[in-house]
Amino acid sequence: MTVRENVANGFRIVLDGHRRSSLLSRIGFYVATALTLLFSLYPFYVMFITSISTNESLYSRDRGVIPKSFTLEHYEVIFGSGSFPVQTYFWNSLSVALVTSVIALVVSILGAYSFTRLDYPGGTLIRRGIIVVYMLAAITLVIPLFQLLVRFDLVDTKTSLYITYTVKTLPLTLYILWNYFRSIPVEIEEAAFIDGYSRLETIARVIVPVSLPVLVAAFLFSFKIAWNEYLFASVFLQSEALYTLPIGIETLDSAFQNVWGEIMAASIITTLPIIVMFLYLEKYMVEGLTAGAVEG
Amino acid sequence: MSELRLENVRKEFGSETAVSELSLTADGDLLVLVGPSGCGKSTTLRMIAGLEQPTDGKIFIDGEDVTRRSPSGRSIAMVFQNYALYRTMNVRKNIGYGLKHSSALSKSERIEKVEEIAEMFGISELLDREVSALSGGQKQRVALGRALVRDPDVFLLDEPLSSLDAKLRSQMRTELQRIQQELGVTTIYVTHDQKEAMTMSDRLAVMNDGELQQIGSPEATYVRPENRFVASFLGSPAMNFLDIDVERRNGHTRYLLDSHELVRVSDDTQAIDRPIQLGIRPEDLTLLDDPDDGATTGTVRHVEYQGNDSFVRLEVNGRIVTCVVPASVRPRQGDSVGLNFPPDQIHLFDMDAGDAIRSPSVDASDTRIETGPSTTEGNETDSRGANR
Amino acid sequence: MAEQRRKPSESSSLSESSASGAVHVDGLTKQYDDVVAVSDLDLHVEPGELLVLLGPSGCGKTTTLRSIAGLEHVTDGTIHFDDEDVTRQAPQRRDVAMVFQSYALYPHKTVRGNLQFPLRKTDISGTEATERVEEIAELLEMETHLDTRPAQLSGGQRQRVAVGRALVRQPHLLCMDEPLSNLDAKLRVETRSELRQLQQRLGITTIYVTHDQEEAMSIADRIAVMNDGRIEQVGTPEDVYERPANEFVASFVGDPPMNFCDPDDVQAAGIETPQSAAGSPDTIGIRPEYIYPTDSRGEPAAGDRVEVDRPSDPVVLTVELIEPVGRAYEIQLTGHGLDLVARLRTRPDDVTEGDSSEFVFDLDRLTTFNDAGEVV
Repeated sequence: MTVRENVANGFRIVLDGHRRSSLLSRIGFYVATALTLLFSLYPFYVMFITSISTNESLYSRDRGVIPKSFTLEHYEVIFGSGSFPVQTYFWNSLSVALVTSVIALVVSILGAYSFTRLDYPGGTLIRRGIIVVYMLAAITLVIPLFQLLVRFDLVDTKTSLYITYTVKTLPLTLYILWNYFRSIPVEIEEAAFIDGYSRLETIARVIVPVSLPVLVAAFLFSFKIAWNEYLFASVFLQSEALYTLPIGIETLDSAFQNVWGEIMAASIITTLPIIVMFLYLEKYMVEGLTAGAVEG
Repeated sequence: MSELRLENVRKEFGSETAVSELSLTADGDLLVLVGPSGCGKSTTLRMIAGLEQPTDGKIFIDGEDVTRRSPSGRSIAMVFQNYALYRTMNVRKNIGYGLKHSSALSKSERIEKVEEIAEMFGISELLDREVSALSGGQKQRVALGRALVRDPDVFLLDEPLSSLDAKLRSQMRTELQRIQQELGVTTIYVTHDQKEAMTMSDRLAVMNDGELQQIGSPEATYVRPENRFVASFLGSPAMNFLDIDVERRNGHTRYLLDSHELVRVSDDTQAIDRPIQLGIRPEDLTLLDDPDDGATTGTVRHVEYQGNDSFVRLEVNGRIVTCVVPASVRPRQGDSVGLNFPPDQIHLFDMDAGDAIRSPSVDASDTRIETGPSTTEGNETDSRGANR
Repeated sequence: MAEQRRKPSESSSLSESSASGAVHVDGLTKQYDDVVAVSDLDLHVEPGELLVLLGPSGCGKTTTLRSIAGLEHVTDGTIHFDDEDVTRQAPQRRDVAMVFQSYALYPHKTVRGNLQFPLRKTDISGTEATERVEEIAELLEMETHLDTRPAQLSGGQRQRVAVGRALVRQPHLLCMDEPLSNLDAKLRVETRSELRQLQQRLGITTIYVTHDQEEAMSIADRIAVMNDGRIEQVGTPEDVYERPANEFVASFVGDPPMNFCDPDDVQAAGIETPQSAAGSPDTIGIRPEYIYPTDSRGEPAAGDRVEVDRPSDPVVLTVELIEPVGRAYEIQLTGHGLDLVARLRTRPDDVTEGDSSEFVFDLDRLTTFNDAGEVV
C-alpha cells in the first residue's frame, strides 16, 4: 500500500463512519480538514501564481485570487540573466544535500544498529544525548560551530556544510532508524549468524534490505533538511560560487527591483525537486516488508 | 441469567466476509466458539462486546436490541488473552475500578464485593499486591475477577488461558467452569484449542470461514459431526478420510477402497449415487497383530508412543491411515498388521459438499448423546441440566 | 491431507548425511545477573539422535539450546562437537543450523533466496548449490513456491522453508526451538511425524526444544526433562513415562497427569500399598489409565488389548464428572479422601455422574515416591 492509498484509506474510514459518528462530529471533522488544507496549501498556491503573474498585475491594487494574465518572464529572468547563476546554486544544493544524506544514512544505520543490539559503556548516555541535540534550536549551534570551522579552517567551503548538515540531520535519521530496527525481530539476525554471516554482513544483507522503506524515508528527510537549509549556509559561506539555492534566492532581493515574481519563480524551482523526488521514492516506502518473517 | 441472541449477524471488512449469517442463542450456559484461526470466532465475540459493528443483523441481550450500543452501554464483561490489567494499580484497585464507574454501590458495598470475588478466585491474600508482582496464573485470576465483579449479563472470554502453561491451564479450566456454574452467567468462550473446547463447554459452536458449522453438546459434535470440516477439526489425531466406492449387492452395502472391500454394512436404506468419502476416527479402528485376521492389511510406517496410547501410521493400499492403540500394543515399523473397520463407527461424507451422509449409529449405551440439546438452530434449550 | 502426500525420492545427495556428529555438554551454567537459568548441566547427544529438551516455560531449555548453538555466552562449562571444543566459538563457526519458533525467515528474499542463503557461506556453489536447493524444496514439497516471498506463504509453508533452510547445509547439529508451536493443532500432529521421518532418513543429530509433552513423546529418541535449570531425567519416552525418576517428571509427562495420593488414604480405601526397604512411601502415584471401572462380574473392564497385571480389590468411588475429550473420557472420582482422574477409552456402561461405582487399580502400576519426591 502506498502512502497515498494509506491516507485515502484513513479518510474513508473516518468518513464512512467505520465507527458511526454524529453529524456534529462529522461537520467538525470537515471544517478541521478544510482549515488544515487551506493553511498548508495556500502558500504553494500563492508561490505558484505569483511566479507566473505579470509585474503589472502583481503590483496592481485589485488583483484577485486568480490573476487575469500569465507570463513566464520571471522564469526567463531567473534562467536567462547572468546575474543569477541558478545552475551553480542548483548543483551546490544538490551536491551538499546528496553528500549529507548519504553520510547521515551510513552513519545512522551503524549507529542505530548499535543502539538497538549492542550493549556498550556509555550507550545510554549517547542515546539520550542524541535526543537532546535534536531538541536544540539550530540558532544556538551556529556560533559554536562557526568557531570550530574557523579552528579547522573550513569556513567558506562546501565541507563546512557537509559536516554541519550531517550534524543537523543525524539525530533525526538515527531516531527514525533506531525506532524501526527495534521492531525487527532479533531472530532474523540470529538466523543469519547461524547461517555463517558476520555481524557486518548481516547488517548489509539482512538489516538494510529489510529496512529499505525506512531508509528511503530517512534519506528523504535528511535530503530535505539539507536542501532547504538557510541559516548555516548564510553564516558559513561567503563566496557566491558556493551558494546553495536558499541563500541564492536571498541575493535576488538585492539584485533586482520588484523581485517578488523572481523570488517566487526561484522558490518553485527549489521546491520542485523535493516534490518530484518524493513522488518517485514513495513507492519504495511501502509498509510491511517484514510481514511474513516471523510468526505471531 | 440473561439471554444472548444473535440474529443473522454478518460482518464484512472491505470485500472480505469475516462472519456470515450467524444466528445463535445462549442463556445462562457456557457456549464455546471454536475454530481455526481466521474462522470469525473472535470477530463474533468482538461484535457481541460492541467492539465491532455488524454489517448486518441484530444482537439482543434479554430481548433488547443492543446492536447499535457502545460497549459501555451493554452489560458485558470481557477477558482478553493478555490480561489487560492496569499496571499502575494494585489488585484491589484493578478489581474495584470498573465498579466505581459502572455501579451505584456505596464504598463499603464495593469493598465487600471486591473481597467476595477475590475469595471466589482464591486471590484474597493478593489484594494489596502490585500487579507486576503476580505470576501469569494470578494475573489471569485478577482479570477474571475484575470482569465478573460487575455482575455482567454476558461474560465474554477470548482465549483467556492460552498464555498459561498446560498444568495451570487445566486447573483454571475447572475453576472457571465451577464459577460460571455458580454465577449462572451467560458465557461465550472463544478458543482454538479443541481439547479446551470439549472439556469446558456446555455447548460447542464450531466455526469455519465465517460460518457456523455445527452447534451442540461436545460429545454429540464429536461423535456425530454434520460435515467433513467438523469431523476433521475435532479429534487428535484427526479422523481418517478415504475416497471409496460403494457397491450394493443382496441387501448389503460394500465400501470399497480400490475395489478392495473395507467393510460391509447391512442397514443402509438409501442408495448413494454420489462420490463419497469414508471417515473413521483413529481410535475406532481395530488393529490386529495377524494380518490374516483383519478385513484389510496394512504396513506399519511410523509409531508415536504417547504413554497411554500409541499413534500408529499404517500404509493401506498406498494411503496413510492413522490408528490409535493402547500403549501396551507395540507394533514395530515395517510390521504387517490386520485392520478392521467397525461398521458402527463409519462416517460417510458427500465428496463435494462435505455433508455427512451417515454417522455412527447410536446404540443403547450412547443414549446420553441424544440428551444434549438439538443441534439445529432456533431449537436450543438450556443444556446445563442435560449435560452436567 | 497426509495420505495424499507422496514420498520424496530416496536417492539424493542430501540423504545419509555423514556430517552429523555427537554433542557433549559438561557442567553448563548460564547466569543472567543474579538469575541462574541453567546450572551445572551435563548432556550427551549421540550422532544421528533426536534428543528433546522438555520442560515448563522458564526451565532453561531454550537457554541450553541457544548456548549449544552459540547464541549465548556460557558462564561456565564446556560444549564439544565430537572432539572439538566449541564453547568459545561464534555461532558462525559451529556448523549448527537452527529452526526458530518464529521461523525467522528473511522477508526480503524468496523461498529460493532463503534456502540459498546458508550455502553462500559454504564451498557449495554454482550448479551444486542450485541442485541442493531444488532437492530440499522437493523434499519439503515447496518446489512450486521457490519464487514466492515468505509473506505470501501459509504458516505451514513458512515452517517448511525454515526447516529447509536449516537442512540445506547438512550441519553437524540441528537445533529446533519449538518449531511447531505456531501451527494449528491438526497440522502440528501431521508435521511432527513428517519431521521425525525426515530426521531419521537424513540421520541428522537434532536437539529439539518443546514444552509439549505429547510432542516430545512422539518425536524423541530420548527426552531430557528439565526443571529449574536442571535436568530431572534423561531417557527414552518409555523410560520417562513408565519409569519416571521423580515426582516432577511423573507429573509433567502424561496427559491427564499422574494422580498423586497420600498413602494413608490409599490404605483407607483398601488398596495394599507397596512397601520397600526404604520404609513407607510419602506419596503414591497412579496414572489415570490404570484405574478401571468394573464390569458386571466385578472384573476390571479394561477394554480391548489392555491387560491388568495385578488388579486391586474393588474400591467404591463417587463419579464427579465425566468429560469427553475426543478419543478418551476423563472421569473425576472422589472418595476415601482420594481425588482422582481416571482415563477410559470408551464411555463406561452403568457409570453416571453423581453416582458411586466400583473401580479397580492396577497394583503393578503404582509408583511410590519418598519425601524428597524421588521414586523409591
